[in-house]
Amino acid sequence: MSHLFEHYGAEGQGYSQPNPIASIDSIRLPEGMQRQKPPRWPRLSEPEMVRHYTWLSSRNFGIDTGFYPLGSCTMKHNPRINEVIAQLPGIADIHPLQPDHHVQGTLAIFYEMQDMLAICAGMDAVTLQPVAGAQGEFTAIRCVQEYFRKRGETQRTKVIVPDSAHGTNPASAAMCGFEIIEIPSKDDGRIDLDALRAVVGEDTAAMMITNPNTLGLFEAEIAQASEIVHSVGGQMYYDGANFNAILGRTSPGLMGFDAVHYNLHKTFSQPHGGGGPGSGPIGVKSHLAEFLPGPVVSRREVEENDKVTVINDKWWYHWETPENSIGKVQQWHGNSGAVIRCWAYYRRYGRELKTMSEHAVLNANYLRRRIMDIAEEQGVLDLFCDGTPVDVVKHEFTISMAPLKEKNGAGAMDIAKGLLDQGYMAPTVYFPLVVPECMMVEPTETESKDTLDKFAEKFVEVIQMDPEVLHEAPITTKVRRVDEVYAARNLTLSYPFDDE
Amino acid sequence: MVDQLPNLGREKVMLETLGLESMDDLFSDIPETVRMNDELPLPAPQTEEEIIADARRLLGANVALGDRVSFLGAGLNRNYVPASVFQLVTRGEFLTSYTPYQPEVSQGMLQAMWEFQTLISELVGLEVSNLSVYDASTAAAEALTCSIRIHNKKATQKDTVYISELVPPARVSVIENYSQGGGVVIKTIKHNEDGTLNLESLAEAAGSCGVYVEQPNPLGILDGGLSKVKEIIGQNTAFIVGVSPVSLGLVEAPGNYGADIVVGEGQSLGSPITYGGPLYGIFACSKNYLRQMPGRIVGKSIDVDGNEAFCLTLSTREQHIRRHRATSNICTNETLIALMGAMHMSLLGPEGLKLLAQRNMAACQLAKEKIVKIPGISLPHESGYHYNEFAIELPGSASDCLEYLDSRGVIGGLDLSNWYPDKTNWMLVSVSDQTTSNDIEMLCARISIWCESETKGVKA
Repeated sequence: MSHLFEHYGAEGQGYSQPNPIASIDSIRLPEGMQRQKPPRWPRLSEPEMVRHYTWLSSRNFGIDTGFYPLGSCTMKHNPRINEVIAQLPGIADIHPLQPDHHVQGTLAIFYEMQDMLAICAGMDAVTLQPVAGAQGEFTAIRCVQEYFRKRGETQRTKVIVPDSAHGTNPASAAMCGFEIIEIPSKDDGRIDLDALRAVVGEDTAAMMITNPNTLGLFEAEIAQASEIVHSVGGQMYYDGANFNAILGRTSPGLMGFDAVHYNLHKTFSQPHGGGGPGSGPIGVKSHLAEFLPGPVVSRREVEENDKVTVINDKWWYHWETPENSIGKVQQWHGNSGAVIRCWAYYRRYGRELKTMSEHAVLNANYLRRRIMDIAEEQGVLDLFCDGTPVDVVKHEFTISMAPLKEKNGAGAMDIAKGLLDQGYMAPTVYFPLVVPECMMVEPTETESKDTLDKFAEKFVEVIQMDPEVLHEAPITTKVRRVDEVYAARNLTLSYPFDDE
Repeated sequence: MVDQLPNLGREKVMLETLGLESMDDLFSDIPETVRMNDELPLPAPQTEEEIIADARRLLGANVALGDRVSFLGAGLNRNYVPASVFQLVTRGEFLTSYTPYQPEVSQGMLQAMWEFQTLISELVGLEVSNLSVYDASTAAAEALTCSIRIHNKKATQKDTVYISELVPPARVSVIENYSQGGGVVIKTIKHNEDGTLNLESLAEAAGSCGVYVEQPNPLGILDGGLSKVKEIIGQNTAFIVGVSPVSLGLVEAPGNYGADIVVGEGQSLGSPITYGGPLYGIFACSKNYLRQMPGRIVGKSIDVDGNEAFCLTLSTREQHIRRHRATSNICTNETLIALMGAMHMSLLGPEGLKLLAQRNMAACQLAKEKIVKIPGISLPHESGYHYNEFAIELPGSASDCLEYLDSRGVIGGLDLSNWYPDKTNWMLVSVSDQTTSNDIEMLCARISIWCESETKGVKA
């Protein structure tokens, strides 16, 4: 082990800085305002710092390290050119309060992104401001809330979510002040229209749903669900977490949705960075556009007095705040650096985004079939069951390890840890809750057939391992199974300095 | 053709395995009524070379701050991020990892974030830090809603929080959006003529759930009066301070004068401005607030062999467990930018931080001294201690002055009527460690010309 704080008190200075440009005597603060005790920060020279973080990186698993089939997270390859572009001074070194004529290039890119996202989702207006998927959900539900307030329909206090929804859905709606109505899914994991009919009414503000759902199933009755919600005057909200599965094949607009959020860090490959940054733009139908957080990028034809740049061949770009905007959800213009990366990603596909989704779905179905076929060849189909017994899934699929758990005690978590020993990231486990001992697998379109074949073989090998060995797994990782209960009971949330 | 798909050309053999004939068969479960039948009306795919050429042309048309002499800040100030930070943060093991749900293969990021928590905790003088929220504005908003959850039961002013009247409108708007769901009443605290907090006005906040003020405040003023706040508002009202983190190299840490929650914009430690995002919001609190804290937290634990190991902890506060009863809906945060912050902090060390703060403050002092000498210009808060920003009063409208400066290659600052509508002649001048004396001289020379012509009533 190496601790950053073991370098505390080392001689020397990390990196040299220029001297202050005026005498420090001129900036002496009164005694009471001065810092009395410096922070107990370490003090690393550049070689030490580089080695520390390189060592840490060697203890971390990314898509670059290996196959990352984390269901619902769409862990696809992150092209490196996007990183190069995001560091250009024309994005890294610009300030959100610069006048429009300083940032025509960025505004042109943002306009293109708003337009592209609206087209792909069948929406009429887009804002890029929300900085994460959950914030996108919150923002869209706030817009719906203002829409109803303006119409005087303040009795609409309820938001409906299926029990298979991501936790952020109910959390986001609750932050807006809505009461959450959870409806059960049918046995096959799909939406239960009767259950929906039973809860909708004059108090329904919206339904939040993702399609394909968290089991990787396309909700074939989605148009009917939209109709039911619309028939009582409610709004339909599309959680874009699984948008990667359907681009160019269908759209939330066609399914009857009124609002949608996009997870740019999933569908458009903003690297997830161990937990962020993300980007969660939202798109809405025209009746909600006036409520979007502002400003959004607009354009008009170039006029005589515009301070045109090389890119203003026809259009002049400018920020504009929608008429009844809900205001802001982030102080500036959102995660602009992420938007620029995703623009570069989108440009790579252009109108062939459909091909991207096709390959995501092809890979998911192929991997699912390979696992089944190999298990059948080896006579071990009884060790697990298909969480989604349908002909074709979309971008992901679920496997229930309940039979194995019943048979020898090895559950989804044991299999997950066993897969870590094989050099793979584990699939998402225990979600969605509707599948017992669930493993949720999403290979994405950027994995080769060879990778999928090998993973399928290893998966079937792992589920046949001695349960005692699986309980012990992982054994090849930097640390072995981590005691999460110990962490919660013995809270150590910062470095325990000796002098405490 | 797209070059990101390893299975292009292998579709047929893979479809055969599935017993399918075409890609269309994979989408047979989508009812015809909702199918998209036309091609997406988008341009053709581009190669990497074409994309970067377009990016260079488009982004090259922007005016980068470094292209000019700039005094625009308002909470986001130009800084220097050491080269090693950029190099290390793009290591694929960090860059391309997800939230560390499998701790055994995520020790690197978990440890780095636990170290980040320690660095922030030490910096602000509070026991606990999470591993970032989105930015300073959402941090302030989350802190205020957190204060309601903690104090509403005992509060005599139920569902009520107080914020400084100087908080810029965009930040207030974020706070309003985050708190309106709970029916929260937001009241304001007045400031004195000299820009410091009005302690009599503050006294009205006693018995409410929380008080949010900034140090330095949005006009750059460092306020010694904040050390009296906690005593005035009492134990049952959360004292929330928004900070500029580098300033804490010189200025007392809020945890040492009674703050319960410290939030702030982390950008000055480790991150470029990037048109306002991604940034990272700092969120730290005392132990009493821990269980109502938003966001992810890393704890130190052990593995089955008893070896030190790290994992996410206290997840029962979070949306994926608690769903609509979670402390926040936050899931994705700004981990990678926080990692850049940790790297920068580890290079600075305590002395480096102090020097960096001195550089920022000295530049601010020098700019103040030079600008106040210009005939026609006055400083509304001249006597105060300033960090990064200060307001100046011009002999004419700030927007006219900024336009003139822009035409002469200087990005002047912020027209303060954007924040405070009656202050049409006020401009917020921002400096940082990147400001040189030449920059200040250039600004003064240009402003002098404008002031002279403005006082004479002729256009500069």
